Amino acid sequence: MFFRIMDKSRVLDLVAGLSQDFEVLGPVSKGDAFVYQRIDDPADLRLDYDTTLLPPKKLFFPPEEQMMRFRVADNEVVDDEVYAAPRVIFGLHPCDINGLLLMDNVFLRDYVDPYYKARRDSTLIVGVSCTPQESCFCNAWNTDEVHWGFDIFLTDLGDRYFVSVRSVKGAELLDDHVETRPITDADTAEFQRVAREFEAGFSDELNTSQLPLLLDAKFESPIWDELGERCLSCGACSMVCPTCYCFDVIDRLEPDQKTGVRIRKWDSCQFTEFASVAHGQNFRESRASRVKYRYYHKQWGYLSKFERVLCVGCGRCARACLAGISPREVVTALEAGGVGE
Amino acid sequence: MAPRVVVIGLASDFGCQVQMTNIEDDLLDVLGLIDLQYWQLASSGHMPDSYDVAIVEGAVTTLEHIATLERVRATASAVIAIGACAVTGGIPALASHGRLEERYSLVYGDGPSVAPGRIKPQAVDSVIDVDYRIPGCPIDMGEFVQVLSRALQGLSDHLPQEPLCAICKTKENVCFYERGEVCLGVLTRTGCDARCVSLGRPCTGCRGLAEDANLESALRLLDERGIDTSDVLVRARLYNTLEEAFTR
Repeated sequence: MFFRIMDKSRVLDLVAGLSQDFEVLGPVSKGDAFVYQRIDDPADLRLDYDTTLLPPKKLFFPPEEQMMRFRVADNEVVDDEVYAAPRVIFGLHPCDINGLLLMDNVFLRDYVDPYYKARRDSTLIVGVSCTPQESCFCNAWNTDEVHWGFDIFLTDLGDRYFVSVRSVKGAELLDDHVETRPITDADTAEFQRVAREFEAGFSDELNTSQLPLLLDAKFESPIWDELGERCLSCGACSMVCPTCYCFDVIDRLEPDQKTGVRIRKWDSCQFTEFASVAHGQNFRESRASRVKYRYYHKQWGYLSKFERVLCVGCGRCARACLAGISPREVVTALEAGGVGE
Repeated sequence: MAPRVVVIGLASDFGCQVQMTNIEDDLLDVLGLIDLQYWQLASSGHMPDSYDVAIVEGAVTTLEHIATLERVRATASAVIAIGACAVTGGIPALASHGRLEERYSLVYGDGPSVAPGRIKPQAVDSVIDVDYRIPGCPIDMGEFVQVLSRALQGLSDHLPQEPLCAICKTKENVCFYERGEVCLGVLTRTGCDARCVSLGRPCTGCRGLAEDANLESALRLLDERGIDTSDVLVRARLYNTLEEAFTR
């Protein structure tokens, strides 16, 4: 890793330059909220965004995508190509970069997912520092900082960016498209000050020590029934989660019934059909068991395999849940022994 | 031999039959798969005595409708109910509460002779068994083609169970409740691609109550948000007045 300083005013140059060689995507405003979208005019890029409605997983693993086409007559696959244009995602926060790293474990390790991989391989990441919001708790999982998973990372120092360059491609992006200068001791000191200020900006510290043990010890706790009564089983939490990767695979015949498409779309463990199997058996019939499963999977199941929890503390689920169920509340309830008011 | 299909309209505004003409690109493909023997809206012929698939639009509001449906059930191997009126009773079912005769008089004056043998409006499946349901007002043509395809392949009906919120999130719509406005998506069966909400209109519940919906909790949570839940129930009854859960 090496570091450079870039004047803030140069960001537009960088984005405009990148646009010549890549499709550039980044946060833009949508009403009062923000979404990751293709940047056609660099001025649309909103690096001051708080969070986006959907996480960047949508750019690698779309809500619905065609996996292949097939012929009905002979059952042959006719089209399973994945087209992924070279692109740069500009302006990811540390939580979302960490979210992608957690997704990588699922889609790129034991079973390599060609759809995800094609998009991942063709994408460069430019991260940007953020300001802790009320709903953020990334500090609980140490996902408030990133050490890899980006090509360039811009830390906001007021009038300039402290640019961390993580990859050769990242270095090339800078060299080709924007003027930067070497860092000075004063820049490093300011970087350090900003990092400490960021750390102090979180509203509270979530106590996550011994969480897996607590989860196991409180498997029969009434907490889950209380949460189950509240849960609306709408699946909003899974959709907005940067680390929820479950999908459903569906074959649809074209109107002429001669060809079909196999699609996959985001699924949620909060739906009754999620655990419904052949013969109508459903091993997670109750809402309480489904809410519980979500938390066990995220904070314990995934951890037991990858040594990280499957949550980056972005707070999107807390914002999206009409019932106000959030990891912060669940962890606090496990700690206190009840959901409370 | 292509399956013989009839399309019948009961009490409705025939909007779903009109919608069927909007398949446009796929219409010829669909017509190529079936032997369309009768389409009440679009053909001038008569109902044949024998057919394989009956597509029924509209609510049941007269004794004649009941007789028609009984004949349909005895004849067709597959019955597909399309649209809110047929699936939940829809708008016509709003007349199912209170004094039916007074409602007719209000509209048609004294001694109305319309709709002889009129009865309290009801959904098609309260009269006969229905094999496939396509809810919505009007129906979604993508769903229509998929369900028709299931029926022709002999696959069972597969209505989505969950509420609208998930698909709505994937469209990156800002939730109406964040603006303090009522949206019935949290209670309503998904499958419409959250089309209305994506166009800036809250969900009106035309696809019926989702099996997965948690009505108790939703009403409690909305009440906590300062939303008048009796108003929510009134809105929900627009398309679902026969739904017991909404009639308290």
